[in-house]
Amino acid sequence: MSFDSAINITGARQKRPSVLQKLVSRALARNLGCLIVPGPEIALAHGLDVTAAGMRTSTTPRDASVLMIVGELSEKMGDAVAVLYAQMPRPRAILIVGGQTPSTLPGADISAGLSQKGLTEAVVRLQRAFADGAFVASPEAFDADVLHAKIEYVCPMHPEIVEDEPGSCPKCGMDLVAREAGESTPDHDHEHQHHGHKHDHEHEHEHCHDQDHKGHHEHHHGHDHEHSNEHQQEHAHENAAAEYTCPMHPEIVRDEPGSCPKCGMDLVAREDAEDEGASEEGSGHGHNHQHSESDHHSEHEHSGHDHGEHDHGGHKHGGHDHGASGFMSMIEVTKDLPRSADGLQMDWLEVPFGPVFPGLPGGLKLTLTLDGDGVTEGQATSLAGMTIEVEEGEESEEIDVETFIDHLATAMPLAPVSYRLLACLAIEQAAGLNDDQATTQARNGGLERERIASHLGWLAQLGRQLGFAWLTQRASTLQLQVREANRYRLAELEPALRTLGTRLGRTPLLKSRLKDIGELSSEFSDLRGPLARAASEGGDAWARLWQRLAEITASLDLIKASSEPALPSLRDIGDLSGTGEVTVDTPRGEARLSLKLERGKVKSYKLDTPCSHHIDLVPKLVEGQELGDALLAVGSLDLSPWEVIS
Amino acid sequence: MYAQAFFVAVFGLAAIGFGVVVFRTSSMVRSALALLFSQTAVGCMFLAMQTEFLGVLQIMMMATEMSIMAIFMVMFMMDPGGLGGMDMSHQKRFSIGAGVSAAVVAIAVALLSDWGPAAKQVVDAEAQTRALGMELLGRSMMIFETAGITILTAMIAATAVAIPVQNLASKRAKEASE
Amino acid sequence: MTVASVLLALLGSTWLLAVIEGWMTTGRLSPAAPLFSGLAHLGRESILPRSPDRVFFEAAPVLLLVVGVLGMAVLPLAPDLIIADLGTGALFINAALAYVLVAVIMAGWGPDGAYAMIGGWRFLGQLIAYSMLIVMPITAVAMRAESLLNTAIVGSQAGLWNIVYQPLGFVLFFIAAMALAFRAPFDLPTAEGELGGGVDAEYTGVRLAVLRLARLTLVVTLASATTVFYLGGWHGPLLPPWAWSLVKTLAVAVSMLLVGHYLPRIREADLMRWCWILGIPLALVNIIVVGLLILVVP
Repeated sequence: MSFDSAINITGARQKRPSVLQKLVSRALARNLGCLIVPGPEIALAHGLDVTAAGMRTSTTPRDASVLMIVGELSEKMGDAVAVLYAQMPRPRAILIVGGQTPSTLPGADISAGLSQKGLTEAVVRLQRAFADGAFVASPEAFDADVLHAKIEYVCPMHPEIVEDEPGSCPKCGMDLVAREAGESTPDHDHEHQHHGHKHDHEHEHEHCHDQDHKGHHEHHHGHDHEHSNEHQQEHAHENAAAEYTCPMHPEIVRDEPGSCPKCGMDLVAREDAEDEGASEEGSGHGHNHQHSESDHHSEHEHSGHDHGEHDHGGHKHGGHDHGASGFMSMIEVTKDLPRSADGLQMDWLEVPFGPVFPGLPGGLKLTLTLDGDGVTEGQATSLAGMTIEVEEGEESEEIDVETFIDHLATAMPLAPVSYRLLACLAIEQAAGLNDDQATTQARNGGLERERIASHLGWLAQLGRQLGFAWLTQRASTLQLQVREANRYRLAELEPALRTLGTRLGRTPLLKSRLKDIGELSSEFSDLRGPLARAASEGGDAWARLWQRLAEITASLDLIKASSEPALPSLRDIGDLSGTGEVTVDTPRGEARLSLKLERGKVKSYKLDTPCSHHIDLVPKLVEGQELGDALLAVGSLDLSPWEVIS
Repeated sequence: MYAQAFFVAVFGLAAIGFGVVVFRTSSMVRSALALLFSQTAVGCMFLAMQTEFLGVLQIMMMATEMSIMAIFMVMFMMDPGGLGGMDMSHQKRFSIGAGVSAAVVAIAVALLSDWGPAAKQVVDAEAQTRALGMELLGRSMMIFETAGITILTAMIAATAVAIPVQNLASKRAKEASE
Repeated sequence: MTVASVLLALLGSTWLLAVIEGWMTTGRLSPAAPLFSGLAHLGRESILPRSPDRVFFEAAPVLLLVVGVLGMAVLPLAPDLIIADLGTGALFINAALAYVLVAVIMAGWGPDGAYAMIGGWRFLGQLIAYSMLIVMPITAVAMRAESLLNTAIVGSQAGLWNIVYQPLGFVLFFIAAMALAFRAPFDLPTAEGELGGGVDAEYTGVRLAVLRLARLTLVVTLASATTVFYLGGWHGPLLPPWAWSLVKTLAVAVSMLLVGHYLPRIREADLMRWCWILGIPLALVNIIVVGLLILVVP
């Protein structure tokens, strides 16, 4: 392929092309780092080997020059991808492999089919594009709606003051500081970002964009104002003889409201002062941090209770002491802050991890409230999961069976064979077809092969999470080989697969890293698949590792005993009607599908997947853990965000 | 000689400059690290004055000490980033008085003491280190060993005090007695 | 001349290390890769985070690089191939390495990002874990040499290398050196799977190039320190002294990379616990044993 005139990549950098730039462009072309969206495990599951195609895999957008999108993305992921793209340094390009460009991004530079051959060709074209068009005099601007935010102005001392325009606080006269609207709403788009905050680029247009955001980080009083208001009123009620004090100068104590003689701030009722102090202590390095509504509520109720009952005298006393010395005691200030597991009170940050995070499955977004590097609470959401639009009892469109099967299989890129099989079985049962030996054996072979590949994919992901480069390399190589291997090839690979387990058993530090992490005993009723089977063996990440390794060898034996693994395809069912309900043991656990067939078309269906249940375990697993342990616990669940149904 | 005096002056001014930054910034981390670089500059003054061991020791110790201070500032201070623009100063009159009088005393001592004749030649670093070792493990051994053990004890005690009560039974007993 | 040769040796080793690192991650042995990678970094834009502590953000990579080079300046490659043979050389290494911590804290605090900040403070949190294991084994080394001169330390190993004389000290120092260079399995401040790059996460373009160079330089400096303190520095048959120093340094540096390749990241709490409960007592034992050896064996 040759280009008549130099074409430019969409994310070219603004610089007049010169001899030096030419040289640098060559270097850039030879050094393409790609950020894979949704994640490297998806690329592997599709059989794409990025390194073999001639690119580096980058773990962060900062280090990437190519945004590689594999497969179709959900709308939410599209927004997240726009933010990632904005974070990548120019020159940057977009490579779409087997899908469409999300509407939030400029057009793809190169599109390729979903195959290794397509990828390799695409990389060659991409390298040429980089060598030719990395630098242009006037690059196109990149902007997306998702990058814009409404700015509002708040008082640093009085979070209840929120204005649309800059000015000073009516209560204390301090200058209002800007923040992004919606910062206190946990589910706002801006938290879908990879890094939790955006960055300005050298380019003019983005500078303008940045101007809007100036001072965003200066906001840092995340305390929920409504609650403190309530709180204050409650107290005024309870305690008519309230004292008023300055939030900054505790030595100032007055019987009535007014302003502080030292700094001119409004005096606040004593109890409120404690809380205000507490909220300031919590103010951090300038990050957006707030506790979730419910947590906050209970916390306030709790402290309110304490004060009201018996603690109050102590506070007064303390206040006078401090008045005498003129110093503010940090013990006093932090006294009512919630304590984490280690007993230290610290700044709480709400930090998003994902949906494209190197240590987590792509598409999974984890929001953790961090206290130092301990996790106080966290929750996981899937940005990629399918929503079932067909509801029972409702008049809905009938789906052609083949379309249905393809739809289900492509919707679950991490276990397409299992879900194809699930759909086929359910339809055949609905049609009243009987099992026939040969087909069943071939299908089971395919399922077991996918189980091996899927577990290897999980091992590679574990390696990425643990920074265990050898494991990642080994497991990915094996996964690529197992994916479409026949029986003969699998028999060849068997020693390598078995050695993998032995090697892992002998790896120092691995056991101490995984033991007692993410414990799930058999008391949990929602466990399925490897999680359930590992529950009796200790139920921690270490047990799950060994469970999966054992399943790999067990699957190998099963394939040896049965016939050639084959991709399940639907047998002829005719125009029958009926209902079917089947369960298939997918690599992540039992998935259940019930559907109604009418004249050979799927009328309605109901899908129950293991990951929809497993994702609910996350808050319990991460609570009170150290950050690394919490992420490892989530990783050990082997969640597939695609298999989370909402 | 002149070069030496020049470097002593440069590092001295740098130390004062960083010292001023400590109080001019409201970011706790900046403040702590400015103090660190101020102390490093003092260490460099030692180096310029040919007391190598003291200089290197000062430079080494301050790096870790001030970093630890920085993390404590972040943990326990309100608004460690200094973005809220709040005024954290207090007792201004007293501190100005204390500062000025301390400066006057220091300058007076510097001017009024009899510093003796300036040394023409200093022994090299190797010999200085040896002499320092002899001093530390000779005449002054008791003093330094006692000080060392005391500091270690204090650190362990402080750590032990900071550990929250783990034993529930003893905690309940304590609560009951209150 | 000496300055130029030492810097050239440092740069050369860094380049070799980068080639080997590339080989391990991509499976391709390409001698030009570091060059292209550096050039590519220059071509990319260097993004400033939205509200950085600009001073810290800019200074951190440079400080890290300066630390690495300063450390190298007091380590001898050959009896007279040393930039500054300080009378307190062994202590000076400690002083220089202490500023790795300062640089990492600055890189963590500077960009105003949660991942970076946690990474920076994590490194400080582990301070006792690795810094004591750097200082205490060096003490034992200096005891044997009866000097803090790095050339004297190498000289004291003419008959018997310290790796044989005090193997315990070597093991502790090697582990602590890896932790100080924050490379896998001790890459807690950068931990890609946990912090998405941590302190490295916000650097791009030229700044990232400096940071990467600084991190590799630090590895070379630490490997060179290991060579000087434990592997007999320039001593060795046949080859000229400087060559021996370089070969040993590179061997140590490559073994550091290899160890990281085959091990999962250590748990933060475990590193702290093992270093306190096991490392520090062992380092004390090492000092006592070396002291006894010096007294008993003339």
